[in-house]
Amino acid sequence: MKPRVGIFSLTGCAGDQLQILNMEDELLDLVSHIHIVDFQEGSSYKEEGPVDIAFVEGSVSTETDLKHLKEIRERSKVLIAFGNCAVEGGIQAMRNDEGSIDERLKEVYGVEPGFFDARLSKPLSEYVDVDLDIPGCPVEKEETLRAITSLLHGDTPLRFTYPVCVECKLNEYPCVIIESGKPCLGPVIRAGCDARCPGLGLDCIGCRGPVDSASGFAAEYSMLLEKGYSKEFILNRLRVFSGEVKEDFLGGDQ
Amino acid sequence: MLVKVLAKSSFSSFVGALGDYGDLYAPVKTSEKVHSFKEIESLTDIDLSYTRTMIPPKKFFIHPEEVIFEFNIDEELYIEPPGGDERIVLFGVHSCDINALNLLAKVFTEELPDKYYLERKERSFIVGVSCVPDEYCFCHSTGTSYAQEGFELFLHDIGDSYFVRVGSLKGHEFIATHPSLFEAAEQSHYDSFKDAERKMYASFTNELEMAGLQDLLDMAYESEVWTEYGDKCLGCGSCNLVCPRCRCYDVEDHINLDLNTGERVRKWYSCMLSEHGLVAGGHNFRPTARERIRNRFNCKGSLREDMPNCVGCGRCTVFCPAEIDYVEVMKKVRGDLK
Repeated sequence: MKPRVGIFSLTGCAGDQLQILNMEDELLDLVSHIHIVDFQEGSSYKEEGPVDIAFVEGSVSTETDLKHLKEIRERSKVLIAFGNCAVEGGIQAMRNDEGSIDERLKEVYGVEPGFFDARLSKPLSEYVDVDLDIPGCPVEKEETLRAITSLLHGDTPLRFTYPVCVECKLNEYPCVIIESGKPCLGPVIRAGCDARCPGLGLDCIGCRGPVDSASGFAAEYSMLLEKGYSKEFILNRLRVFSGEVKEDFLGGDQ
Repeated sequence: MLVKVLAKSSFSSFVGALGDYGDLYAPVKTSEKVHSFKEIESLTDIDLSYTRTMIPPKKFFIHPEEVIFEFNIDEELYIEPPGGDERIVLFGVHSCDINALNLLAKVFTEELPDKYYLERKERSFIVGVSCVPDEYCFCHSTGTSYAQEGFELFLHDIGDSYFVRVGSLKGHEFIATHPSLFEAAEQSHYDSFKDAERKMYASFTNELEMAGLQDLLDMAYESEVWTEYGDKCLGCGSCNLVCPRCRCYDVEDHINLDLNTGERVRKWYSCMLSEHGLVAGGHNFRPTARERIRNRFNCKGSLREDMPNCVGCGRCTVFCPAEIDYVEVMKKVRGDLK
């Protein structure tokens, strides 16, 4: 029997699901190996029942999301946080330290608590056990396909545990920090993009989120401060795709 | 050692003759601060005045990323990629890099021979070129400012001509088959060669005392220096990847969607990355940047095959985004610098 695969969506732009649809050359082969029970962006067809592999994109940003996520966890053997929103909380989590959700809804929309079904945006791992994360905004097609084939074969998928700098060096791309002092986040951001932006001379903005040990964040912060970037600029930059970058991440001396 | 003289007026004929051996690679300026060994289309692309490339010539012998075999599970097959027969000429390699390759060759071809390395070494022709040190070079300290072996020809710039040392059988064959390119070396050429070497040696501004370094690193095990630089280190791995003597690699298996065929890939890796010290069961021998940087400097400062693991090329300092200075760290370990 073919493994039952669900592709689910919480709060996000659905760009990660779209990446699956974008695997045009592999899609037919892929569906010959799996049985898709839920794929909002691909089909209106839905099935209840157990799921072998669940891809969940989007962050938990509403009570509905949270209920949905818990149901998915309940029925799934392997749950994959799929894309930056699911792994880190996404762009919508970058202001989580600036007041409660009620205060913010009041200020922006002038509504009382409870008017919207909204929570502070959080990654899936905040609420359920996550078996694998596939980062990126959006995810990389090749990494996604490799993860699926590894799982189908019964292997643990490989994760990128090293930063973008490694891919710059393997490709012999000049370092944009050293060449022109750009505020590149490559040293602390998970590889897997084949250093696409630095390869074009652009500084990494961190769309794949932090490498496992976020210990480099303090060093990145100090390095960019020394290059003359402001604390506010650096923090904002780190927070866009890296969820809640707490100030104690950045070491004592700020 | 056979020595010859190559007049600079014969330079283009010489490079042309090298091209007859195989595909010609030489240093090319690829950005403001980066040189790279690239395949040469036109003589004018070659920049022999370069100091160092970012990625050392080890890339020709152990590729940054390569498929080492393909497999077929049902048929219990593994298929090695065809070795190919393309020959390459590496033109313009500096002494530090030749000495680095000599160590890699020992590691990869002696005790556990690596067929890919052996094949590529067999099909390569290395032409060394003398250089002028910059403020980051310290190869005179590491004993690698002169290459005694590991090249076919070595060109020393002595003004109007090159003083050519012949370092291998392939080098001798080249000289024998291109007699019109070279002149016999005379006493005046020896004198010019010695002067040029003396001048090069006197122009170093960076220096690292190597005596006892391995023991001093042992004694510095609990030193504050590892915390100081561990905090500064981004953990990006660049220092290892640009090092001509670093040779750690990672191996990955990739299975295809048919769930039957796939490939095994090896790619350069770095001891500054968090997974380097991770073993089965989840234990990590070097969980923090402090431990990783200590490990790296201990590795670099120790001897392998009776050779120091650092050739003083300065790459790890020049290409560190956090501007960690290798010599400065070692001087702190020695106590020469507080």
